[in-house]
Parts: sequence; structure tokens; C-alpha cells
Amino acid sequence: MASQDADPESEMPAAAYDERIIDLDFHMNPTEAELVRYVEDPVAREKFETVEFGMAPRKAKWDAAWAVPGGNEGLFTQGRAEVAEDVETVAEYFAIDDPIVNIGLNNTPTQHNPVQKNAIVRAANDFALDRVIPEDLHCLLMVPQWDPEYAVEEICRLGDKDGFVGAYGWFGPFSLLGDPAFDPMFEALVAYDLPLVLHGSLSFWPQDTPVGDGMLTWTEQLGFDWPVHAMLTAVNAVMSGVFDKFPDLQVVLEEGGHWWIPFARYRMDEFYEMHPEDVKLHPRVHELGNERLQRTPSDYLRDNFHVTTQPMAPPERSADFEQMLTQSMAEDMFLYSSDWPHQTLDPATWAFTDRAFDEDLRAAVLHENAAELFGI
Amino acid sequence: MSTHTDDDGYTHVAAADELEPGTGMGVVVDGVEVALFNVDGEFHATSNRCPHQRAPLCKVGERKINGEKCWNETRGGFTDAPAVACPWHLWEIDLETGEHAASGKQIGVFDVKVENGDVLVSI
Repeated sequence: MASQDADPESEMPAAAYDERIIDLDFHMNPTEAELVRYVEDPVAREKFETVEFGMAPRKAKWDAAWAVPGGNEGLFTQGRAEVAEDVETVAEYFAIDDPIVNIGLNNTPTQHNPVQKNAIVRAANDFALDRVIPEDLHCLLMVPQWDPEYAVEEICRLGDKDGFVGAYGWFGPFSLLGDPAFDPMFEALVAYDLPLVLHGSLSFWPQDTPVGDGMLTWTEQLGFDWPVHAMLTAVNAVMSGVFDKFPDLQVVLEEGGHWWIPFARYRMDEFYEMHPEDVKLHPRVHELGNERLQRTPSDYLRDNFHVTTQPMAPPERSADFEQMLTQSMAEDMFLYSSDWPHQTLDPATWAFTDRAFDEDLRAAVLHENAAELFGI
Repeated sequence: MSTHTDDDGYTHVAAADELEPGTGMGVVVDGVEVALFNVDGEFHATSNRCPHQRAPLCKVGERKINGEKCWNETRGGFTDAPAVACPWHLWEIDLETGEHAASGKQIGVFDVKVENGDVLVSI
């Protein structure tokens, strides 16, 4: 077990700097002026340049700042990486060897206009290709999932470029993956060998509903809205036969929590095994001509999904922590994520200071699972 | 950092003018990591590691990367309590008691004195 810390200025336990760490959720935020330069569509670009709220109006009624002492912001608590060099500097602080960068525009799916949304996605991807990937950083390719046809176009345009190691979309109160309209997108992702990484978006529980408007705290909104939608996304994809049609498709649920895995794996199996007759009525399963799912529901969870760790939120007792990691299939499913630069930052201290982690589990969660999944 | 412990059990850890107001400094005294803070000219010392996730409290006040584009230019800070707001998650640790109110967790606080321009800490 590594001891902490001969160097009081060190952000991480000394042993962390000797372990390979791949970070699946590192947000880069180029300035809006910089991104607008990459908008090709002249109509969209003219509006981004002239309309007051620019590229990224916020629709959410809630603000993390209400929940933080002193009203501090949540999005840039650690700073703001605008260029690749910023990413490299920060990654070093936190012992992150391989940050997998996304261009942090997580409120894109909540915007209304598809022309503008598609233009933002294309600009972000071109920025990544032009300014981030040449600096030897791995990136996620943003896919406009609200428009599956355009998503396929974007995957085909850039999916084979070195440096894009996965696709980036969002889970939330949007169309669920069970909709067969997504099948061409899944086909393209499999063809280009791109895992689909779905991050929570800023569209918390559908607002202007009794449930959405009933939540007044950040704990409810970020802490539980996102895991509920992440879990539903997973269960829906399994039960609609997505992975029977696309057995090689890999999905990562990012920032959607992980301690719900034991609940979902046993509950899915229990419900399905007791009530299997409606699955064949799902359009995708019907098209496949299947009577049943081809595997036990929990097998799809282990084989086709990964979840990210931030925030780990470990139990106080190591024995409890170890049991939860086992029940959650952490050695197969967990991928380390920092969420830099947000207030929800989660440096991987727990992997080095808690007895719940042995050498094998630490390696699996911090790099082996991600290295295998993304081929890096 | 060279340290020297006097007869009262105080150890010299820094010159007072080494530490700018609104910042912290990490020192090791008798093998113990200590965070030394300058809060508007008043010096305080606590255990260096936040009780939440072991962040180095001594880095409070460090300038963020591209801080001018953020609401606050520094990582963490100080409140009037006085408390130190952790540079990672802004947990507020009372500098008199070492307590974090919301969790009830607590870290060590140490006596500090300034003599002849030197800061001394008693572990």
C-alpha cells in the first residue's frame, strides 16, 4: 500500500505517479470565439457571431453555484483548459497519463435548433482534429444523436481519423437507444470500432414537469437524475435487443454513477425471467425473429457496458467498499474518470489509499479496461 | 525546508514574508504534513490533507489555469469564519477547530506564532 505523501505540495499519493492512469472524462473548453472559427455553415455561423447568447445558451433552471458555499461556480472550479498544452499541464498534476478529451459542450442536446446543434458538433470535431489530436491527445468524436442520419455522416467523415478513439453523445431525457432509428448509427460505430460514450447532459429531469420542478437541490438533480437516466438507458438498450443485433457495440455511461449496477443486474434478470413474453414484440427483436434475448440481461451489462467512476463515493469501511466493487463488477466495468475541471473532480486517491484495491483491480480500473476498450 | 524546534516545542517553518496573504504553504514537521496559511496577515496551521479526499490544503489560493476566464481566479480560498476552502471541492474547514460542518469530519489544527519575522508552528 502506498503511503501518502512525502511531498506536501503533491496533489496525489506518490504511487499514483508510477501507475498508468487513463482518464475518460477530461473536459476541454476552448473559447467560443475559437470554436466559431470552425463553424462552416455560414447561416449558423452568422447567428453564433451576432446573437447575444452565442453557441451555448443554458436552459437549466438550476445552478451548481446555489449549492456551493460562497456561490462558487461548479464548471470551472479547477480552471479552464483552452488548448492542448493546458490539458497536458493539468493531467500531470493529477498523475493522469492519458486524458481522453471531450470538447465540453454538454448542453448541446438541450438546444432546440437542429441546424445550430449540428453546426456546433461539426465545429467541435474539427477543432479537436485540428488543435488537439496533433498534440498527441486522444479525443472523443461528438455525434449528433438527435439526428441519427447526420450522426452517421459525422462518424463516416471523421471516424477513421487517428486520435478519435470513441464517439461522444449524451444520456438524459432524450430518445432512448431502443429506438430502431439509432440502428444505422450503431452500425457505423461498430464498423469504425468506436465505443459510444454517453455523458450526462445539462438537461436534468424534464423541466416544466412536476418531478423536474419538484427538485430544488443539486444533490437531487446531479446526484440522482443522471444515474436514473443512465440506468434507464442501459436497461432499455438491453431489453430492446440492441446488443443482439450489434453484439460488438460497446457503450460507456459517463458520470451516471456506478453503485446502481448490482441493483440493475439482479432486477433485470428477475423481471425478464419472470416476464419474458413481451420482448419479442419489440420492433428490433421482432425484426430479428427472436423469441428471447440471446443472453441473460445482466450478461449484456457486463459485456457491452462500462461505467465511469467519478465520483467514486466510497463507503467508509474498506470491507464494504470491496464488496460493492465486486457486486458492481468493477474489474470488468469501471473506467476511471476525473471530470476535470468541475467541482465534482475526482482524483483517483481512493485507488491508492484504500485496502479495497489490490494491484489487479487498481490496474483494471485505472487503465487496463480503458486501454482494451479504446485500443490505446 | 530546514526546521528548528525551540524549547517551547515550536518549530520554525518559514519566514513570514515568504507567504503571500490569501495563500498556503506545505511544510513537514516531525514527519507530519502541515498546511500553513496566511489569511489577511494572520497565520494558521492545520493538517495538510483535506478529510474528504486527501487534497493538499496548502495549495489553496493557487492560480487556476486560465483563471481570468473563470468566476474565481484561484483554487479554493478563505472565508471570514475563518475557514479554508479546499482547492479540490471547496469543503470549508474551520481554521480554529479543524471541523467541516456538513460532514462532521475534522482535521488537526496547530498553534502558530510569529517572532522576529519568522513563523513557528507547534505540533
